[in-house]
Amino acid sequence: MTLREINPKMVEAVVGPGVRLFSQRGAMLAYRGEVSFTPSIQGGQGGLASMIGRRVAGEATPLMAVEGSGTVFFGHGGHHVHVVHLSGDTLHVEADRLLAFEGTLRQGTMFMGSEGGVMGMVRGQVTGQGLFTTTLQGHGSAAVMAHGGVFEVPIAPDHPVHVDPQAYVAHRGDVRNRLSAALGWRDMVGRGSGEAFQLELSGSGTVYVQASEEKL
Amino acid sequence: MSGYGGAGPVVHDPTTLPADDNVTKYTFCVELKGSPWFLQKGKMIAYYGAIEFNGVGHGRLDRLVRTSFHSPLHASDWVVAEGSGRMLLADRAFDVNSYDLDDGNLTIRSGNLLAFQPSLALKQSIVPGFLTLIGTGKFVAASNGPVVFLEPPIRVDPQALVGWADCPSPCHHYDHGYLTGVMGGLRAMTGLGGASGEEHQFEFVGAGTVLLQSSETLMPEQDTGVVPAEPGVPGRTGTPAGHGAQAGAPRLPGQLGDLQRRFGL
Repeated sequence: MTLREINPKMVEAVVGPGVRLFSQRGAMLAYRGEVSFTPSIQGGQGGLASMIGRRVAGEATPLMAVEGSGTVFFGHGGHHVHVVHLSGDTLHVEADRLLAFEGTLRQGTMFMGSEGGVMGMVRGQVTGQGLFTTTLQGHGSAAVMAHGGVFEVPIAPDHPVHVDPQAYVAHRGDVRNRLSAALGWRDMVGRGSGEAFQLELSGSGTVYVQASEEKL
Repeated sequence: MSGYGGAGPVVHDPTTLPADDNVTKYTFCVELKGSPWFLQKGKMIAYYGAIEFNGVGHGRLDRLVRTSFHSPLHASDWVVAEGSGRMLLADRAFDVNSYDLDDGNLTIRSGNLLAFQPSLALKQSIVPGFLTLIGTGKFVAASNGPVVFLEPPIRVDPQALVGWADCPSPCHHYDHGYLTGVMGGLRAMTGLGGASGEEHQFEFVGAGTVLLQSSETLMPEQDTGVVPAEPGVPGRTGTPAGHGAQAGAPRLPGQLGDLQRRFGL
């Protein structure tokens, strides 16, 4: 457990020989010991190709590599922080919601259209994810930021979960998501309920939802 | 907060309001009984009882100001609450907490201090923008997110620092190891790759406690007043023979924007 929540808005991370982290630039609050913060030109892991991929996908949030030996405290913008521990599964999250993650996690970029084609791209627009999203895979932990507290909703094969696209933070596991539109004539004349679009997640895994509809 | 489970919000009356304790994370209740309190202007949100608020400098408060208020030049930002009753303090939904000092000293960012008992003496810190409280008593301070207490040695982001107690004043620490070497030189030359934003910290050593808030959102700074222009007194800005317009904010090589300046844009 490299990352640990010490209060709802702050995480503590221990780095040492062989243990390094990536974090959003400027998110370090304090540190103990000898730790260096190097801006990562590539914006994370992988080679040059991954970097170009991220740049093109707009998922290149400025990151820095945190190395050395000591304890580092992270927090950013007064947002709530939630630590997700991964053990072999994949976390799908927007790059600018990632506060910090362990170097053992493999970082990738996923095209929204690869899940559901054109509808997937529409879904990306509605949730504010854009056309691409970041995936983290492997063993380790990641700290995810959200506006307001985060709660987990389990997804079971016969229990799909509907989430407001603006309150969606991240999801993990073997989950298919689909934008379900309940557009009627009321929405066309501006008398809709304001809940016309919902994100339907099905499969097995967990979805992380924030207690607010405000974006970061 | 406990009543939010469905029974509706907790309704307080003068007897159930906590005395000198938090009502919620964001509101603090002060019980006034005889002894006055100093509070920053505009931080009182409600009160019960007979409480009088007077600006500092009000005739009969002169003695009080003399004994517990040592920087007369910013006294106008403070008011004295006197009487009996309970008053609620809050500041734009920042987390509020009270701290007890027992014959100690604590230095705090000027904007974060909401109120204090006159048994404490308030003085300007040598570090600009900070105030030092000395003595025994209670004070109330705000922070963005809960406050975390840490022990030195530690290096702290300047924006996340709320204050420190008992340990010596901090010094500046610069990390720019990544700007050395061939790649670092290239980075510094071109400004490519950006900066990590963590080149500058406050370093604390010695015995004491450092108070850290959970984010880098600052509260608006309160003027701590000016220090006399004497030789040997640090922190006096606007002295003759200035070294450029923004001598206060040194730029590091490799910071974003250097490329534009290099091309004279």
